Amino acid sequence: MRNDRLLEVWNDTVDGHHLIGSLIIGGAVSLGAFQAAEWLLGMFIDDPRMARTYAMLFGIIGCVVGGAICACLFRPKREVVEDTVDTENLQGVLAALYADYGSRGGVEDLPEAVRSELRELELEEAFLVYERDHVQGDAVALAEHDLGRAGREGVKS
Amino acid sequence: MMDALLAQLPVALGMGIIGAVVFSAIGLISGSDETTTIAPLTLLVVLIGVPPAGVYTFFLAGAVSKHMTHAVPTALLGIPGDTMATPMMREANYLRQLGVPHIALRKMISGGVIAALIAVPVTVVFALLLAPFGGFVQHTAPYLFLIAALAIAYFSPGRWAAVLALGPFVLIIVALQNLTAAHGVKLGVSYFLGIAIGPLISDLFLVLSPAERARRKRDRPARFSLAPDVKRWSGYFPNPLKVLDSRQASWTIGTAVASSLTFVFSPVAMTVIMGEVVSSRIRHVYHRLTTTLAVRNGVTESTYIAEALIPLMAFGLPLSPVAAGPAAPLFNAPPRFTVDSASGQVNNLHNLLGTWEFLIYGLLAVVLALLIAYPFSMNYARRAASFVSRNISHEAIIGTFVGLILVIGLWEGGLLGLLVVVTVGLVGGFLSRLLGFNIGVQFMGFYIAVLTVPALTALL
Repeated sequence: MRNDRLLEVWNDTVDGHHLIGSLIIGGAVSLGAFQAAEWLLGMFIDDPRMARTYAMLFGIIGCVVGGAICACLFRPKREVVEDTVDTENLQGVLAALYADYGSRGGVEDLPEAVRSELRELELEEAFLVYERDHVQGDAVALAEHDLGRAGREGVKS
Repeated sequence: MMDALLAQLPVALGMGIIGAVVFSAIGLISGSDETTTIAPLTLLVVLIGVPPAGVYTFFLAGAVSKHMTHAVPTALLGIPGDTMATPMMREANYLRQLGVPHIALRKMISGGVIAALIAVPVTVVFALLLAPFGGFVQHTAPYLFLIAALAIAYFSPGRWAAVLALGPFVLIIVALQNLTAAHGVKLGVSYFLGIAIGPLISDLFLVLSPAERARRKRDRPARFSLAPDVKRWSGYFPNPLKVLDSRQASWTIGTAVASSLTFVFSPVAMTVIMGEVVSSRIRHVYHRLTTTLAVRNGVTESTYIAEALIPLMAFGLPLSPVAAGPAAPLFNAPPRFTVDSASGQVNNLHNLLGTWEFLIYGLLAVVLALLIAYPFSMNYARRAASFVSRNISHEAIIGTFVGLILVIGLWEGGLLGLLVVVTVGLVGGFLSRLLGFNIGVQFMGFYIAVLTVPALTALL
């Protein structure tokens, strides 16, 4: 995708020009709705405080309308890729997972309910293969060591 | 008592449904922080004069629904649904990489359902136990807020930096209050909004500055992979106790009870801690991932419910991060609900609802949220996540929130109100980013400025 105006703002990417457009539209629609509602409601509601509160309601509706207009005008700057779970690399994911968390006991020790869940997800085989290949592996041993007291308590129970 | 309950039932029911529907939708939008969305809408509901039971069910059904649907972007897109969803990213990402994001989603949501149902009665009982101390707490509130603020600051990511930064931050708020008072303007929500939306305000300023803008340039759009979803049950309403195994259900229940009792701590911190406690006790790594997710999302529900309800029922004072932030309008929404800093007198839902009403309407709100958000997110998660990520640009979300800043700021204090929102947001956003002086600490700083500072200066 072209675009040298992409920026990261508030944890997502935006196009600088579209951002300026959104600020103007969002501001104008919400403020317009608020001010117009305050003026109109002021003619029908005697208590100006209540009129102002209801005007705030219209202002908030205006925010949503402004956002909807921006959503129609400016497309998201996200690449959404569907169904790209890379099951080829399951062993790689498992290696990262075991290194990160460590694991005590293998699939055989799992309660039947959990084991059948893994089986239904077609993950049981991958876990078994990984555990067979790495049963003395560094990752597991290391994590076991790091778990310390909490780990030993877990083993006892 | 029955008559009073029945008389308010229709409005409680109606507002609960509105809250659940609105916040189920908002939960799907990533980055829609709780305080920026729940606080202004609850304030609106208070100020247009909805009866107390309706205000209460709107808030509670909204918060519970949001913490269910926030699991959708978290699990399927790998972006946190809101602040409370961030502690679940790591486990959710692993399950996504294993090709089973729907498991992450279902475990989270089912944990949330169970915890929300348990948290309401536990919270009510605990609030009753604390209620005898209500008078004492109201009288000593200014000092309790100071102690709570120091503790919350110390346990924030900023540690001592956050503790020390409280001083200047409180000073800024006191100074702003004196400035606006000189022009006859008294502000409350503007501060909340400024604090809650600070990260956006400070980011907008940052990209205006050429040097920082260069650092934030990206050469291509952010890439998300939307994971597939597989339905594993028949019918529309899956049984949460079947989605979780027995150990997961019991851990979820246990942590829901425990986190209901620790209502003064930061809800994100509780979510992290409870997850770690349980995680270290589960042996197998796969079981650990799924159990941690169920427990953590359960805690996002229970801690929110407890942090809002216990201070509200027992004291009427916003003595917790949630009560001071997203739930603030339940305590303080002048002119309708007020907390008088001098006398400790409160006039809010604390006086307007009785114990039974808190319990029954609380359960009603949770059940409404379950009936709406739970089957929705279980059945339509993937389509919803796909729609949001493909059709709602980040620019549109920013435009909406900037509109909200303008409307609320101008509504509460005219141009001065707007300037206060921007000032507090800019300062707070930077303090949070640079020092780890996070939003929860900032809310407590606000209460020190309005409660503790006047009490201390009266002594001098």
